[in-house]
Formats: sequence, structure tokens, C-alpha cells
Amino acid sequence: MVTSDNRPAALAVSRGIYLSKRVRRETLVGWLFVLPALLMYAVFVLVPILLTILYSFYRWSGVGPMTWVGLRNYVTVFQVPDLIGTIYNAFSLVVWFSFVPVGLGLVVASVIHRVATGRFGAVARTVLFLPQVIPLVAAGIIWCWLLAGPGLINEILRAVGLGAIARAWLGDFHWARPAVGLIGIWVLLGFCIVLLVTAITKVDPSFYESARIDGASWFAEFFNITLPMLRHEIGVCLTVTVINALAAFDIVYVSTAGGPGNSTAVPGTQIYVLAFTQRTIGQASALAVMLMVLVVVVILPIQRLSREVAQ
Amino acid sequence: MKVGQGELWAGRALLLALMAFTVLPFISIFVTALHPSNALPTGLEWPADPQWGNFVEAFNVAKIPTLLVSSTYLILAVVPVSLVISTMAGFAIGLLRIPGSRVLLFLFVFGLTIPFTGLVVPIYILERAMHIYNTRLAIVLPLIALYMPFAVFWMRAHFVNMPTELSEAARVDGATTWDLFWRIHAPLARAPITSLGILMSIWTWNQFLLAIVLVEDPMERTMAGALGFFQGHYATDIPLLCACTILTLLPTLLLFVLFQRQIITALLQGAVKR
Amino acid sequence: MNTKKTLWVVVALFIVLAIVASATSCGAPATTAAPTATQAPATAAATAAPTEPPAPAVPNCGTDPIVMNGYFETGFETITRLTEEFTNQYPNVTWDLKYDQFTNLINETPRLLTGDNPPDLIRLPTFVSFAKEGLLMNLDDYATAFGWNDWPVPLHFARMDADGIRGSGTLYATGINYQLTGVFYNKELAAQIGMTEPPATLAEFDALLAAAKDAGLLPIMQWGSAKSGMGLAFPLQQLMADYGPTGPINDWIFQKPGATIDTPSNLLAAQHLERWIQNGYFPPDINAIEYTDAATRFGQGEGVFTFNGDWQNAGYSEDMPGTVGFFVMPPMEAGGQPAAMSGPLTYGIAATAKHGDCAAFFLNWIATNETARQINVDIGGSNPGGPADLPIPTVPEGSVTAETLAGGPQVGSNAMDFIANATSSIFAQGWTPELQKMVGGQQDAAGLLQAVQAEYERELSE
Repeated sequence: MVTSDNRPAALAVSRGIYLSKRVRRETLVGWLFVLPALLMYAVFVLVPILLTILYSFYRWSGVGPMTWVGLRNYVTVFQVPDLIGTIYNAFSLVVWFSFVPVGLGLVVASVIHRVATGRFGAVARTVLFLPQVIPLVAAGIIWCWLLAGPGLINEILRAVGLGAIARAWLGDFHWARPAVGLIGIWVLLGFCIVLLVTAITKVDPSFYESARIDGASWFAEFFNITLPMLRHEIGVCLTVTVINALAAFDIVYVSTAGGPGNSTAVPGTQIYVLAFTQRTIGQASALAVMLMVLVVVVILPIQRLSREVAQ
Repeated sequence: MKVGQGELWAGRALLLALMAFTVLPFISIFVTALHPSNALPTGLEWPADPQWGNFVEAFNVAKIPTLLVSSTYLILAVVPVSLVISTMAGFAIGLLRIPGSRVLLFLFVFGLTIPFTGLVVPIYILERAMHIYNTRLAIVLPLIALYMPFAVFWMRAHFVNMPTELSEAARVDGATTWDLFWRIHAPLARAPITSLGILMSIWTWNQFLLAIVLVEDPMERTMAGALGFFQGHYATDIPLLCACTILTLLPTLLLFVLFQRQIITALLQGAVKR
Repeated sequence: MNTKKTLWVVVALFIVLAIVASATSCGAPATTAAPTATQAPATAAATAAPTEPPAPAVPNCGTDPIVMNGYFETGFETITRLTEEFTNQYPNVTWDLKYDQFTNLINETPRLLTGDNPPDLIRLPTFVSFAKEGLLMNLDDYATAFGWNDWPVPLHFARMDADGIRGSGTLYATGINYQLTGVFYNKELAAQIGMTEPPATLAEFDALLAAAKDAGLLPIMQWGSAKSGMGLAFPLQQLMADYGPTGPINDWIFQKPGATIDTPSNLLAAQHLERWIQNGYFPPDINAIEYTDAATRFGQGEGVFTFNGDWQNAGYSEDMPGTVGFFVMPPMEAGGQPAAMSGPLTYGIAATAKHGDCAAFFLNWIATNETARQINVDIGGSNPGGPADLPIPTVPEGSVTAETLAGGPQVGSNAMDFIANATSSIFAQGWTPELQKMVGGQQDAAGLLQAVQAEYERELSE
């Protein structure tokens, strides 16, 4: 089947060699097709990005004059422990929001593929995906309640005799971050599982069949077939969850508002506070720029690594 | 498939455990919502006197009908327009392969990595300058724009795999580009368009940050935006808050149950087809 | 080759767009008209006074139907009931009201004040930054017209001078009532530990707390989640006022140059609080308790004492009818003058509000109209202020409101504003995280004051 990739006309157009009148008109029409989407995107995404970068060099409260301060806002981010701490917290969340769901998701996906390919597996996939469709705010409120002193988590702990460690998890300095992380796992695990299960089913079954005929254990199958073949999808899963972790706002804002003592404050919530409570737009923008750079810096290696084999 | 019995049951147990982990929170707040107001119920105890009326009260107090209208309006304003312009763009980039396609694609895909929080402040200021701040447009326009990366990528992925014979045959018959798009390819793209539409509807419904920053009246925000408002308002009344939460997530839950196939396929194919 | 050219064109396009966009947004005119315009009338009024002018037309709401735009804080029923009663008495005035919780309120206010439909009446927990930017209406004319300056109420809390220092200068807000904070106690639990009358000194209070702890009761219920803000700021400030004078504390809150919260007497107060924390007088999960949770739990009998204000009177009375009592925080020495956070529940008017006159009239009405004053006391639990010759509305004997109303005169001139209000975000960025750290054992008393002072100075230098 000849797909658009092989069209000789396309090649000619992009080489710019045969710019016949008809081709030029077609190009114009083609660009007109792109224009609406491009325009919306440019005005409400690209321009704001540039504006954010611009504001980060000023001191401004949102009304009134803007004062140029150069790199001072960036320096402040490094100097104020509570600000630079948000970056550390964001990375900490990456472990919970990304590594755990992806790792656990891989295990579960391969389990589903191995022992539950029928109805049961389909039901499991649907159920596990549920948290993805509800608002993150709702997830935050639900878990806020579950993790509270009298909530379900503590009740379960007490029921199994671990009542001694029961506490208000979101108010504890050492446990607030992992608790927020738990919410993230709950929200993102289903996504990873479903993604990876679909990917596994796309793998040539002959690989698995020959492995099973050889009597390979789950471990062998997992490490020798599943992991390498799913490299690309693992990369996708990591990318999506890492962005979720670094850019987290809804869940944190609703469950802890960054507390206690800023131990769960992430760049997302801090930008909001700086911009709207403290009204230092410049400072907020500087932190936002750092966040965006951070996301790109973290995503690039993941993309690079996962693309090696796929293409 | 020769798999040991032990492994079979261990695997099933793991899945059941995870399903319980996923579902218990929903059950917990459902049960909590049935307790009398101002109670601080623990965990999973079914109340002695289930207060089904809490849902009715939450319905009225949270002005659910107003919010439903507001959210539906937002979805109707955002989704069709996004579908049209992203399909057109995907068509141009994926099928027509206009010069600059590679750059455009990169530009859009780059947008997938942008965190909303980084953009909220300049969008707010931009909208003030454009005098659309605090109108419903305030949420609609940025949302359309923010969906473009995923939507354009998603539609392009579909068009890239369309066979060229179709277009060539149509050209021979004298079809214009517009004909090509409207008469031939758009109908063929019905499935990905539908999936994309459902996804964007769910995302719009669940939108929180943009709603609380760009619209002042909680009643004109999305349901998720209003829920954040209620958390402060009704924090004393946990059962009522839980009832509100359930009412808020019910629509998307229902939508998912009805369209699970499309939704899951949409998300995954878009992700896997890189 | 073509791709490269396209890329450059695209980049150039965006740079142009960005420049255009930023030029238009930077140029957005701020409502800076207000501060300059207000200087003139203030001086005119001052010079006109000695010649006894005929009573000027008092601002009022007229007779045409108008819709007042109000933005209030959730959880305060009083103002809602007052607006309803106002419409009862003046049917041509109806209200379009919006509510938001404290944190959202603070965040939304600047946007509302600079928007197209600014509030005629807005709740202002803090007002300095908004006043500095000219977003609030100058109320001096109204104060003169209605005679507010003669009332025995601390109006100076809502004044700000040209340098941005509070305590004197132009009036930017006024209170719909005057709140008092102190210590509420559960009478039944108090009886269990042998408390027959409120403690007269700090030492007696300490003894009662220890007795409660020994009896297996929770001595103090308090809130501390970042979502409502750290409730330990209340006992901290009360202790500060016990260990030292209230003047320097108010100076710091009012942003007087050179003011600092890091003083030797405040250090002693913070250490005292630290001891209370270490003795386990507060709930172990305080960092996760929201304000409303604490109020509910105290109402259900958890905690012998709680530091709160009289705005919660109605709530406590409903949960604990007849069993809740109140006393002003005891001073250090027996017979000393007690101190408390006491101030107006401030409301202001947007500089560009359409119905400023009616809003001012409403504010005056609240303090002078008999029904309004009764509502204020019944629902708000606070002193309605107003002229000295108007009687305080009656409250049931022995009710907690009677006790809070009685506490006002005891405190008298030792009224302080709240340390949480010193700057717009000193609470969220300073007091709350540092106090939470102190609870978690990660911050000590000295560090607490130093960190908050550093944050304060950083915000003021912005």
C-alpha cells in the first residue's frame, strides 16, 4: 500500500524544485488548513510562553509599572530554600507518580497478558482505568478524606493490628509527600496498565509462545521479552507520568496546599501562590520558566532512550 | 499457554488486590456521603440511618443544574471547534504534507510538554488586555489552544496512514483540496474524531486550574472548578462534601462506562503511534 | 532548505506577536487615578470643618432600583443576613453576592478590584497592598459625613498613610463589627480538671493545661493545615502580648519602618509555645486539621480549650449549648491588663465601584440600625461598634456571646491586629510553614521568628 510517505509529488514540493502554479496554490490552501489551529496555539500557548520568559526578568505586581531586574528572580529561586525546595519535591513526586506506576504497571500488564487474557482481564483493565476519568480535584478530595485521622486507611491499619502507626498522613512531615505520591499512583496506575497491556498484545505472539514452550518462568519472560519489546511504550508511559509529576497542581493544591511546612510544595502550587497571593509576577514567571526547562531536560533523555529501538 | 496453577492464582490475586485498591476510595466516599451532616464518620461503616437526602441537598446547594449548564456550554464551545481545526491541521500536515510539516509537527508536539501552571499568568494578563477575562471565553479559547498539541498529533497520526490512492483518484476526477478533505477524508476519520471528541469532553469537564484563575464566579466555572470552591465552603460538612464530589464525578464516570472502548483506544493509539 | 526558511519565518512571526502582545499588556492602564484624587477632598474637609457648614447631603442609596455587587468570605453568615435585612428595609436595593474561602478570596481580590465589574462592597482581610495600588476607595469623606470618627472603635486599624504605613492616614476600610479573640473552653471538661473560674494569670493557665494532660484529656484543640492556615498563630500572639507590650506587635503588623517581630520578649513567647507543643498540649495531627474540622471536633468535646474568636460563637453555641464558655487570655501578672487580637471585620469599597455611596450608607446602617445591630450580635457574636450612645443589643444571660462582649472592655486599648495580616502572604509563606515545622520538631522558637522576619523583609522589599 502506498502511503503519503512515498508520494513523489510531496518530495518535489518539499524540495522546492518544481513550484508549479498549481502546486503553489495547493500549498497555500494546505497552509490555510493549518492556520486556525496554528493561530489558536500561537496566541494562547506560544505567545504566553514567550511572555512568561519576558516577565521573568522584571519585578511586577500585575498592575502598575514593570521594573527590569535582570536575572535577580532566578537568583532568588536558588537562594530561598522554600523555592528551590519545590524542585526537589517535584523530583520526589516523580518517583511516586512515574517510576512506581510504570514499574508496577509493567508487572501487572505482563500478569494480565499471562494469566488473564479473557473477560477477567478486560474487566480489570476497565476498573483500573476509572481514576483517569474523574477530575483530579475529586481524586484529591477523596484521598484527603481517606488519609485523614479517622479515614479508611487508618481504619484498615487498625484492623490489621498496625494501629500504632495510624496518623493524619497528610499532616505529617515525613509522610505527606509519600501520601501525595500514593494519590498519584492511584490516578496514574490504570493509565500505565492499559497502555502497556495494549502494547504487549501488539508484540508478535510467537516470541511468547516459543518462550512458554521452553517453559520460561514469568521472570524470564518479563526481562527477556516484555521489557525490551516495550521500550517505546515504556518511554511514552514515563514521559506522560513524569510531566504529570513535575507539573502537578490540582492534587497537591486540594490535598495539602503545599504543607506541612512546604514539604509538599511543588513548582505548580508555588507559582500559583507567588503569582496570585504574593503578587510577584516576575518571580512566579522565573519559577515557571525553570519548570518548563526542567520538564524538557527530563523528557529528552527518556525520549532519546526509548526511540533507539523503535525506529 | 502452559502456565502453572500457582502462577494463575497469584496473578489473579494481584489483579483483585489492585482493583480493590482502585475501587475502595469510591465506595468509601459513597458510604460517607450517606451519613448525617456534621458527622465525622470513620472509614467504611455503613450508617445506621442512610441519608439519601444528602445527595438531594448536595444537588441543590451545589447548584448542580447551573454547573451542568455551565460545563456543558464549555464543552459545546470547546470540543466541536477543536475537532474541526485540529482535523484540518492534521489533514494538512499528515496527508497533504505541506512544506514545513516537520517543523509544524515539532512545534505542536513540543506543546505536549508544557505545564499549564507555567502559562496561567500570561494567559490571565493577555485576556485582561483582550477584555475577555472573566467571560466564558476566558476558559474556552486557551483550552482549545491547549488541546491542539494532542489533537493535531492524534489526527495527523490517522491521516498519515491513509492510502494515497484515494487522493490520487479524487484528483484525477478534478476534486479540489477542500473536496478531498470534506467529501472523502473527513467521513473516513469518523472513528478517531469521535474518540478525540470524547477525550476532550472529559478533559474540559475536569479542568480545574484555568477555571479558578480565569473566571471569578464559581458558578460559571467547570464542575471541577466549582468543586474546589465547595471544599472550602463545606469543609465542616464532610458527608455533604462527599455527596458533592460524587455528583461531580458521576458524569465523566458514566461517559467512560458507556464509551470505554473508544476512550481507551484513543488514548493508547495516540500514545503508541509515535 | 525550504524547511529551514519556513522555520525562520515562523520564529520571526512569533517574536513579532510576542512583542505586540507584551506592548499591549504592559500598557494596560492601572486605576491609579484614585490616590491622587483623594488627597484633595481630604484636605478640603479639614479646612471646611471649623466654619460649621450646613449638614451636607448624607450619601444614601437613593430610590431607584440598584443592584449592589458584593464579594464576601465563606463561613460568615452575618453579612448575608444583614444584606437581606437591608433589602427588607430598603426594597429598591438588591444584592448580587459572591463568596469564596479565605485563600481564594485573597487571590481573587486584586483581579476583582481591577476588573470591569468591581465590587461595591468587598471583604478585606488585608488591604495595604490594594490601597497602595489605588484600588480601594478613600472612605474619609464618608467617615466625616456619617460621623464615624467620633465612634469609640479602633478605626485606625484600617488607615494607611502616604508611605504605606498603617495606623494613621486615609481610611480605606471599616468594620461591620469588632471581633474579639481569646480562649473558649468546654465547661464540662473544665469541671473535670477542677477549673471553677477562668485563670487569672498565665501561670494558672499553664497549671490547668498540665492538669488536663494528666487527666488524659486533650488540653487545646487547634487547627494547622496549610489549607486554612496555621491556627497556632493565635496562641503565639497571645503569649507575645503576655510577655511584652502590644505596641511593637502592632507596629510590625502595620509595617512601620524598622519594626521587627524578632524581639527578646517574643522569643520567650515562642519558647513558651514550643514547650506547649512538646508537652503534647495540641492534637498530634494538628498539621492536617483544617479550621472547620477543629471547630467541629471541639464542638464534639475534643479539647478542653481552644483559641478562637467570637465569630465562632454561633457555631459553638449550636454544638455545645450551655457548655461553652469564654475568657480573655490571662495576663502575665495578676491584675494586669489583658490583651487580645481584636479588630474590625473589615470591608471596603472598590475605587471604581458604581455604588460607593450606597455601600457606605449600608456600612453606616449596620452600626446604627437597631435590627442590624441585633443581627450582628446574634449571628456574628461580635460588638457592632457604632456611636457610643447606642446600647449593646441584649444577649441571653450566660451565653458565650455575653462573655465575649464583656471581654471587649477588659482588653480596651490592648487591642492588636492579627500577625497573620502583616502582609498579604506572610501567613501562607511565613507563619504557617514555620509553625508547622515547629510542630514537626524541625524548627525552634528562635528560628521561627528569624525565618518569619526574613520573609517579611523580603516581601516588603518587593
